[in-house]
Amino acid sequence: MRVPLSWLKDYVEFDDTPGNLAERLTFSGTEVEAVETVGGEYPGLVAAEVLESKPHPHAPGLTVCRVNSGTATLQVVCGAPEVLPGHCYAYAPPGTALPDGTAVATRTLKGIDSHGMLLAEDELGLSPDHSTLLDLGPASPGTPLAEILGPPETVFHLEITPNRPDCLSIIGIAREVAALYGTELRLPGFDLTESARAVEDAVRVSVADPSDCPRYTARVVENVRIRPAPLQMRRRLALCGIRPINNIVDVTNYVLLECGQPLHAFDLELLEGRRLAVRRAGTREAITTLDGEQRDLPAGILTICDDSGPVAVAGVMGGANSQIRSATRTVVIESAFFAPALIRSAARALGLSTESSYRFERGVDPAGVEWASRRAAALIKDLAGGEILRGVLDIYPHPVGPRHVSCRWEAITNLLGVKAGPDEIAGRLAALGLEITERTPRGCTVSVPSRRRDIEREVDLAEEFARLHGLDRIPEPPPRSLVVPDADDTHTRATFALRARLVGLGLREVNNYSLVSPRLLDTFRADDPSSRIILPHPVSHDQSVLRTTLIPQMVVTLGRNHARQAAAHAALFEIGRTFSPGKEEDRLVLGLMGPAGRPPLDRRRAVTIPEMFLWLKGILEALLPANNPSRPWGLSPADIPFLTPGTAMQILVHGQSAGTAGILAPNIAAEWRFAGPVAVAEITLEPLLEDFRRIPSFSPPAQYPAIQRDVAVIVNESVKHEDVLRVIRAAAPKELASVELFDIFKGEAIGSGKKSMAYSLQYRSAQRTLTDEEANAFHAAVIEALRRELAAVVRES
Amino acid sequence: MKAVEIEQRQAAALEEIRAAADERSLDALRAKYLGRKGLVPALMKELKALPPEERPLAGRKANELKVAVQQALTERRRELAEARAHPAAAAASFDYSLPGVWRGTGSRHPISSIIERAVEIFHGLGFTVAEGPDIETEYYNFDALNTPPDHPSRDPQDTFYLSDGRLLRTQTSPVQIRYMEAHPPPVRIVAPGRCYRRDTPDATHSANFHQIEGLYVARGVSMADLKGTLAYFARRMMGPGVRVRFRPHFFPFTEPSVEVDFSCHACGGKGCRICKHSGWIEIAGAGMVDPNVFAAVGYDPDEYSGYAFGMGIERMAMILYGINDIRVFYENDIRFLEQFAQ
Repeated sequence: MRVPLSWLKDYVEFDDTPGNLAERLTFSGTEVEAVETVGGEYPGLVAAEVLESKPHPHAPGLTVCRVNSGTATLQVVCGAPEVLPGHCYAYAPPGTALPDGTAVATRTLKGIDSHGMLLAEDELGLSPDHSTLLDLGPASPGTPLAEILGPPETVFHLEITPNRPDCLSIIGIAREVAALYGTELRLPGFDLTESARAVEDAVRVSVADPSDCPRYTARVVENVRIRPAPLQMRRRLALCGIRPINNIVDVTNYVLLECGQPLHAFDLELLEGRRLAVRRAGTREAITTLDGEQRDLPAGILTICDDSGPVAVAGVMGGANSQIRSATRTVVIESAFFAPALIRSAARALGLSTESSYRFERGVDPAGVEWASRRAAALIKDLAGGEILRGVLDIYPHPVGPRHVSCRWEAITNLLGVKAGPDEIAGRLAALGLEITERTPRGCTVSVPSRRRDIEREVDLAEEFARLHGLDRIPEPPPRSLVVPDADDTHTRATFALRARLVGLGLREVNNYSLVSPRLLDTFRADDPSSRIILPHPVSHDQSVLRTTLIPQMVVTLGRNHARQAAAHAALFEIGRTFSPGKEEDRLVLGLMGPAGRPPLDRRRAVTIPEMFLWLKGILEALLPANNPSRPWGLSPADIPFLTPGTAMQILVHGQSAGTAGILAPNIAAEWRFAGPVAVAEITLEPLLEDFRRIPSFSPPAQYPAIQRDVAVIVNESVKHEDVLRVIRAAAPKELASVELFDIFKGEAIGSGKKSMAYSLQYRSAQRTLTDEEANAFHAAVIEALRRELAAVVRES
Repeated sequence: MKAVEIEQRQAAALEEIRAAADERSLDALRAKYLGRKGLVPALMKELKALPPEERPLAGRKANELKVAVQQALTERRRELAEARAHPAAAAASFDYSLPGVWRGTGSRHPISSIIERAVEIFHGLGFTVAEGPDIETEYYNFDALNTPPDHPSRDPQDTFYLSDGRLLRTQTSPVQIRYMEAHPPPVRIVAPGRCYRRDTPDATHSANFHQIEGLYVARGVSMADLKGTLAYFARRMMGPGVRVRFRPHFFPFTEPSVEVDFSCHACGGKGCRICKHSGWIEIAGAGMVDPNVFAAVGYDPDEYSGYAFGMGIERMAMILYGINDIRVFYENDIRFLEQFAQ
């Protein structure tokens, strides 16, 4: 909301700079977003009267005028839609400059000389309005503009929080300022001289359901004359962002800005049956609103109707069929309180937010409805003449009175952690217009006016006190530490430790959106499309499904880095959440591309699928250590559509499927034009965290020396490492301390289809030093088993 | 053999030893000089044949030769062993400037870094981490947090609703409710997590983002405690000179509510590009837990009070690291990620 400083000063006195005022407002809860200076000194600019105007002979839309600038009569060409002889406008003679610095000179427009310019508000820096010339009203030609427009205006741009609709007006802000500076609020005084004729004789009003419209008032002013409002009023409206229309409409907007109560003026003669009825729209009702839009009204929307149908969308915008025209003679002033929720849904349904709807949505002061009506009637009489009919139609079946709220001094100071005495607290509350109706040594009761719907409880009073007392006066004690017994976040700590291990392993963490494109998921065929959670109203199709797997976005991430040539190799991970109906599951995804596992001088050779696979497996082994016997895990070949057959693995933990791992299938990888194989793995987080929660149990390292024996077996290529291990372990005694594969060899020397695998075995007893003979016996048993079980040719050493 | 001759033999022996190319030659030289049939035992035998007046000098010289040869052998042996262990190190061709060989350095995503740092600070104050689901009910995300039924934040324009009426949480605050429902006071938790708002992505908006929520409920908790705690956090997180200030604000679930500014860590509050020349940066929303929230979880507001706060993780990361577009967090360009290896 915009608040011009000079207007604010009509209602409250204070002695401070605009900068300080802005700061005090901000730190008492009315945030000042900007302080703007509007207008200027206007050196050389004057009022000029148009003596004569006629269309430009060669340029439609331009007008050629003769103007009296006070010192001369000059010819000026002007592009405004309406230039009225006899009216005074702002005039910039040649040789002057506009406030934005534009120099004004004599120019030739389509063959006709223009000696200077007639100005619109935007050219004067008063508002963004360029639609019409600034009409100065009655002014003598040659009067300096600065004299007419006054000194430059300071305008505050305020952000009003939704709990404070009472601050959506100049008076509302003035009330805050008065409380801050300890000065008096001055409400505008006016006389309401009414005629003898009663308002009931002119118009009838009805409200179908008082819960839709708890209060509705109407006043009538007869014999008005429509003309422009005075310059000061028009200027104030413009400063607040409202375009001046005519004296009646301007008054309703002026009062809206002044006190926050939206008003509407109808031309009584245009109301069929001279009647206003507040009712919900039925089906198939329509209205042309003041902005010229023809609108079909959603059934149930709150409307104001005459006998023929809707004449206004209640609280949002009036209808063209009953609007104030230049011929209007009798005006009905509507001032009402509409149910906030109804106005909000109406504004949303019509896609139309207005100054009125904004205030009604947040809630106006039901007690202020009648004051605004009187104020508007008095101003209309002042500016448009005529007679105010006697009385007001006021449908207000359940008047809202002040609310009484009690507080305890100690509760307030304890909650805030400040020291303050009862007088200090009571004084702050009273300054806000909260009248103290009862006071005891322990606390007080205040009467809360109906405009402050936000004050209901003791804490609300604590807030009022705090913001006036000053939040900067709340001390900053050193934080207390507190142990909450049984509070347990080992899950988080384990996740942090897992992340630390991944980073230590040389992987980089990425973060992808939870929302993905269904097309991307379809590409991978990694999930069951029927168990996706689809957003009914996504922002875009690319972010319309909650991810069911982390793998596709990991591949996209690798692909993007590859395409951008950000890195030739990468080892990435993400810890993220996946979604399926009824289940949210945190998972880890790994992604490798390029020679990620190779040392720097060995990165030009093409990466093979087996080595890429083993890098991936190496990371998994570091996360799921084999030395945790309570949690066996392994890989089991599986049929996974997005992985290369043969490399596609299910990760089993405790025999349960916990994820997938393998090399990305070529047909999918092709989409990102990767240079070599890409490895991905996805595993549920829970089994990975176990290791970080487990408390290791110590077993003493063996004291006695070990004896090492090597064995090399020549086997068929189809024999796997795990087969050899199984045979060795089954044949060896408990003294077998470790088995390590240290070489694999293929070549003509051992024959095609064969490979040699060399193992180093360590034997060690926990009780004594083994003899060579014992070790030889153990080893012989192993060799015998290898020959027997794997048809291996054994070379021992 | 005369003393002079012995000296000559010693010099020749030492030269021979220093020139030995390998262990094998050293073994041979050892045998040649110190072995049973070597020079030293021979010299000792010869001593007896010398005239008595020459004997003491020759004896001393023979002993000197023995010690010198022993030392030279040991020294050369060490040299050879060293050369064997670091063949290139000794050579001029050794290039210490080649790229190192170990696995690459990994990195935390900056969002994780901020979360972990924040959590570590709050761990030190006795807070523990609580978590909650991303998919929430309207009850936990709005109703129980005292958000009126017609509050604009519930608008489907701003919140992602699912077809079953649930929603993607717009804030981490529902964790407060879930935790208080399950635990009696005192409560001292922080809740980092992912949140969602139906914003069109741009430099400062993203379909999902992260927050960290804090909640402390006990007897006698005051706004001063909130301020002291956030002031401590600000110094630990952003730097020792950073201060906090409160501005009154409005949130449905706290009363009084404040917005919390940190003084700019980059310029010390003098004004710079990062703080848009104001010296202050808005970091958090906070306040005293509204009694209606306590009512929703069955806490007695007359007995307990508490504070709550929420901070944007991306926002803190952007300010701390000088990042000006939120989208880079989700692009995962390695040249971005590698800058956060810590």
